[in-house]
Amino acid sequence: MIKVVKNLYQYRELIAALAWKNIVIRYKQAYLGVLWAVLKPIMLMLIFTLVRSFVGIESDDLPYPILTFAALLPWVFFQESASEGVSSVTSNAALIKKIYFPREVFPITAMVTKTVELGISFVILAGMMIYYKMVPTIYALWVPAIIFYTMIVALGISFFGAAVNVYYRDMSQALPVVLSLLMYGSPVMYPLSLVHKKLIEEQAAGVWSNDLYTLYTLNPLAGIIDSFQRVVLKGLPPDFNALYPGLILTLVILPFSYVFFKRAENWFADVI
Amino acid sequence: MKPIIEVNHLTKEYQLGHITSLKESVLNTFRRLGGKPAQQRENFKALDDVNFTIEKGEVVGIIGHNGAGKSTLLKHLANISNPTKGNVIVRGSVAPLIEVGAGVNPELTGRENIFLNGAILGIPKKIIQQKLDEIIEFSELEQFIDTPVKRYSSGMTVKLGFSIATSMEADILIVDEVLAVGDIMFQQKCIERMEHLIKREGRTVLIVGHNIRQLERICSRVMLMDHGQISNDGNPSEICRIFFHEAQERTLTRHKPVEGIIPPQSDAGIIQVTNIEILDHDGNCSAHVNFHEDLTLRITFECSKKLIRPEIVVGLHTSDFVHILSVSNALADIRQDLEMGKHQLTCRLTDIPLRPSSYNLRLAFIDQHRQMLWYAENIMPVTVLPGRFNIARLPEIGLIDLATSWNFKTLSHVNGLV
Repeated sequence: MIKVVKNLYQYRELIAALAWKNIVIRYKQAYLGVLWAVLKPIMLMLIFTLVRSFVGIESDDLPYPILTFAALLPWVFFQESASEGVSSVTSNAALIKKIYFPREVFPITAMVTKTVELGISFVILAGMMIYYKMVPTIYALWVPAIIFYTMIVALGISFFGAAVNVYYRDMSQALPVVLSLLMYGSPVMYPLSLVHKKLIEEQAAGVWSNDLYTLYTLNPLAGIIDSFQRVVLKGLPPDFNALYPGLILTLVILPFSYVFFKRAENWFADVI
Repeated sequence: MKPIIEVNHLTKEYQLGHITSLKESVLNTFRRLGGKPAQQRENFKALDDVNFTIEKGEVVGIIGHNGAGKSTLLKHLANISNPTKGNVIVRGSVAPLIEVGAGVNPELTGRENIFLNGAILGIPKKIIQQKLDEIIEFSELEQFIDTPVKRYSSGMTVKLGFSIATSMEADILIVDEVLAVGDIMFQQKCIERMEHLIKREGRTVLIVGHNIRQLERICSRVMLMDHGQISNDGNPSEICRIFFHEAQERTLTRHKPVEGIIPPQSDAGIIQVTNIEILDHDGNCSAHVNFHEDLTLRITFECSKKLIRPEIVVGLHTSDFVHILSVSNALADIRQDLEMGKHQLTCRLTDIPLRPSSYNLRLAFIDQHRQMLWYAENIMPVTVLPGRFNIARLPEIGLIDLATSWNFKTLSHVNGLV
């Protein structure tokens, strides 16, 4: 782990340059430029708001648009970092065949690129908070930690996925499908409190209820999204009961994922 | 001091055919678990037990025909590929100029690409900033430096790539066929830059290339690769000669005359050359000629039409097509009409001045309107042997020897102790 951080530091200029390249080439010839980056969460927010007007979803006494936008912020960041990360190695085949540097630079770069886009989404969120006259509290200081945790989750998937994708391109095809399904298994459209209420308070699934709730929170994004909404919108500390199952899972997966990537790395140039 | 590069028993195998499908990998895993042998694909040895060491400051050229393993070897030295067996020890930083411009992004401008490629090559941003003007100047792209590279010509792109790559301050430069970039003027500049890096800054350099003369000039040592092994290693001019010789033998087997008719590369359908012989000075058929002796060629051909004052050109070239010699009956003003039918021409080249080596014959028939009637290169080898000369006394470089006279005159001299 120390080696990873050391490498990161040593190759920081490369990561910065590659991330900057990604952003520049994506938006260079587009009239709206970087605004395209935030289009996805905004569109999803509008659709969810529309859907909610038919089915009625509880929103913890908060305006629904901002609640769902605050959920989409970490979600879209995670989803895009992971899918970009998975295809990052194969899309840089030319570089991989010509020059050596630690290959984890590529998934990390994909994530850094998405962090910049996340920054722009934050501006939109701030605008919405002003519109709804919401004031962030001291708990908003948790935000960097939550984002960092999201990065770790995304990397855990990217390392493994990127390595597999070099051998079997099915990975980069399958992942977006799996992730868009996972979105419905995460409290994006609806708040986590709704799941909590159904399973823990109403015991809707009978004896399985508590176990089901743990299973639900095993998805790290459940904890992340809920905590993000709590610290930014509700002025509450994160709910650790919702966080820890996912956190444990992530901390178990990440080292395996990284080791797998490093072992596969030796053959990237031959196979890609 | 330990050598800067050490390669021990380096072997690299590639599996032939397509990468195993998921189904096969799973099946193979089950077979292995079941104790049965897994399905194997055919292996190909790109490198086969390669051993060598390179000392600091050496400039090593690697030559060999396509597929001999040159680029695979460089990839191992640059840590891009990993060996199947054996190991590679590199004591120093490596700048791989393997196909310059690999990292050049077409969407970015020249200037932006300088920074991006600098980062990819591991040059700190500060140093790039310092060297920016120098890089731009060397690339000759001052005017276009803020234009996206996608609007550059291919030559301009490569110029940019080379300029960035050579500004890197690494201990070892690995160069793969990059000297063949740009126009002649820029090539000259590249070679000068390479020579500067080599001589002034004492870098260790590995070059792969097909331009053997260039390599002969730059390198202090040349390795010849063949089928994944180093077949020869040592003095550049000697190894290059061996390589030429091998290349020549290969072209010869490719260019066997068909049933007595020599196949031309261009043909107006009037002339058919049926035989060409080299004669020694007793008039016997031979395959070689002695240095500074006469070469006689006897050419038998048939014309299907009367030819008016045709011009006949006989020439010799090296196996890399440097045309060193061309003689013509027009210059000697011995042109005569040839009737329809079979003719035999004897052409005598006096006092062959070409240094002992292997050359190739070319022959052309041109009519009175300077239209090409018949033309072929690489017809047959003409080997020049040392003959009565001690070849060791010949200077190492140069293609032609001339009759010379030397005269020493003492202008002043000093007696006794100085």
